[in-house]
Amino acid sequence: MLFLNKDNFQRDVFLGLLVWLILIMFYFIFPDPGIHDIIQKVFILGLFAMSLNILIGYLGLIAFGHAAFFASGAYTLGLFLQSDFVSNLASFSIPVAMLLAVLVSGILATLIGAICIRLKDIYFSFLTLAFQMLIYSIILALVNITGGDQGLMGGFPKPPFLGINLGKPFDFYAFTIFISIITIVILRQIIESPFGYGLRMIRDNSERPAALGFSNQKHKLIAFIIAGSIAGLAGSLQALLDVGAYPEWAFWSKSAEPLFMILLGGMHSFLGPLMGALIFEILNDFVTANTRYYGLVLGLVILCFVLGLKKGLLDWILIKFNRK
Amino acid sequence: MLKLDKLSKSFGGILATDDVSLELKPNSINAVIGPNGAGKTTLFNLITGKISLDKGQIFIGNKNITNLTESEITHLGVARAFQITNIFPTLSVKDSIKVALLAKQHGLNNMWNRFKTHSINNKAEIIAKLSGLTKSYDTISSELSHGDQKLLDIALALALKPKVLLLDEPTAGMGPEERWKMIDRIQKLWKKTKMTVLFIEHDMDIVFDTAQNIYVLQQGSIIAEGTPKEIKNNKKVIEAYLGGGKK
Ligand SMILES: Nc1ncnc2c1ncn2[C@@H]1O[C@H](COP(=O)(O)OP(=O)(O)O)[C@@H](O)[C@H]1O
Ligand SMILES: [Mg+2]
Repeated sequence: MLFLNKDNFQRDVFLGLLVWLILIMFYFIFPDPGIHDIIQKVFILGLFAMSLNILIGYLGLIAFGHAAFFASGAYTLGLFLQSDFVSNLASFSIPVAMLLAVLVSGILATLIGAICIRLKDIYFSFLTLAFQMLIYSIILALVNITGGDQGLMGGFPKPPFLGINLGKPFDFYAFTIFISIITIVILRQIIESPFGYGLRMIRDNSERPAALGFSNQKHKLIAFIIAGSIAGLAGSLQALLDVGAYPEWAFWSKSAEPLFMILLGGMHSFLGPLMGALIFEILNDFVTANTRYYGLVLGLVILCFVLGLKKGLLDWILIKFNRK
Repeated sequence: MLKLDKLSKSFGGILATDDVSLELKPNSINAVIGPNGAGKTTLFNLITGKISLDKGQIFIGNKNITNLTESEITHLGVARAFQITNIFPTLSVKDSIKVALLAKQHGLNNMWNRFKTHSINNKAEIIAKLSGLTKSYDTISSELSHGDQKLLDIALALALKPKVLLLDEPTAGMGPEERWKMIDRIQKLWKKTKMTVLFIEHDMDIVFDTAQNIYVLQQGSIIAEGTPKEIKNNKKVIEAYLGGGKK
């Protein structure tokens, strides 16, 4: 197992598949659907948070409007699966719908990103928020297509493909985790590539790169598009899970969720946001079962992390671990 | 090698660069001196395209680089280190140099390789050695000593294999001993790489000892230029700068 020491793509693929198999065994060892539900959601929301952390952790740009892409992915998938295409070419409609969800979110991110990345700091943050609220308003306004504030009405079919029937809980569980892990492995490759170090360079000092013959803007835009596309993928998985799409997914409070996860799990470790999603979901599950004051508890926990650890949990653990 | 033709730049009412012309010979080492606020850094900013010119033209060899972007000018062979160190705080020395090397060859768009094991590693080691940063190769930039941070700033410029290297007060904030060490290193670099060097320096002993050619800047314009000997004996310089209370 020598190759496990080397941080490379093959190792990540291997580890990813290993985790996937373990989680599949987990499914049978713990047959409680509640637990399966939490794990699925952790991956979906984790993907969402990790995509945002490309911008926050690696590029140093705090985007407040990331849910725009989550929602565009969800609505694209839902609308596509409600279309006639499904009855004509049923068997491939889910993969096609997910690809489209990623593509549409990517294109939306290109348009929004091209404008937002021109601004810095808080101006960038506010502009992303403004665009997200625009998307939210559009979803509400197009009642005939999106169902307005009711959300996408009437559900949609989930035709089986390649022997996978997402109507079955196990298939959905295995599929969602598989897609998430593959995406995370690809994201890891991007973050650890020269491109990924270009992001860190801009984050550290946005003045200097020009004097190295490097243009920040193109790099930032590509990162923004990747982040938006992955958020769109997460949204499409969420839509498949809920067999619908809701305007709240494009509301500003939905953008705050991945921010909380990043704060909880840590922005300086690759898997920090995923751990944040786990904490977030567990809190959500326990607290909502026992009290109505979910927001209060979440707020207090985040305060503990920010004031107590001064960083996310995984960041904190990794620093402790390295300093031994 | 580098030719400036009647450059002017004003900020509001202040004429920071006033009709400056000069020509650096290939493989020469040159110094700019002048009191604070004389417009030395502004001159570097104009040459590198960091700020735009009001008037004048700039050439590298025969190529007119007037009004090109900072990034384009860098790719044409002009690199600089900054008066206030301008590095990447969370990156190690090694990673900083690698990023600079990759930027030069448009390699930062690459998503397929791993940065850590990139073949550029060998070149980075050479640059580190050249800059005297071998010992702190794996240190995070923000944890370097001030002197090493200045060296790293220069190393980033060296990674670009420039034809013209501009050094803005490479010895700023250093004690006398450290200064001479820095200048020694710069001189060695210059001899090894055959770059054309232009540096800004306040220490007269260093300037007279190191530069082949000196430009004296005051209130944006060049009041004297020549060899160390010529400058030492220049009346204008003695009056305005050397003799009269040093600023
Ligand atoms: N970006 C700028 N905006 C306005 N004024 C500037 C700017 N840069 C330099 N100046 C002014 O130009 C003059 C020359 O500055 P500078 O080139 O930094 O001098 P030096 O490097 O010789 O100390 C100073 O009066 C300074 O205040
Ligand atoms: Mg200066």
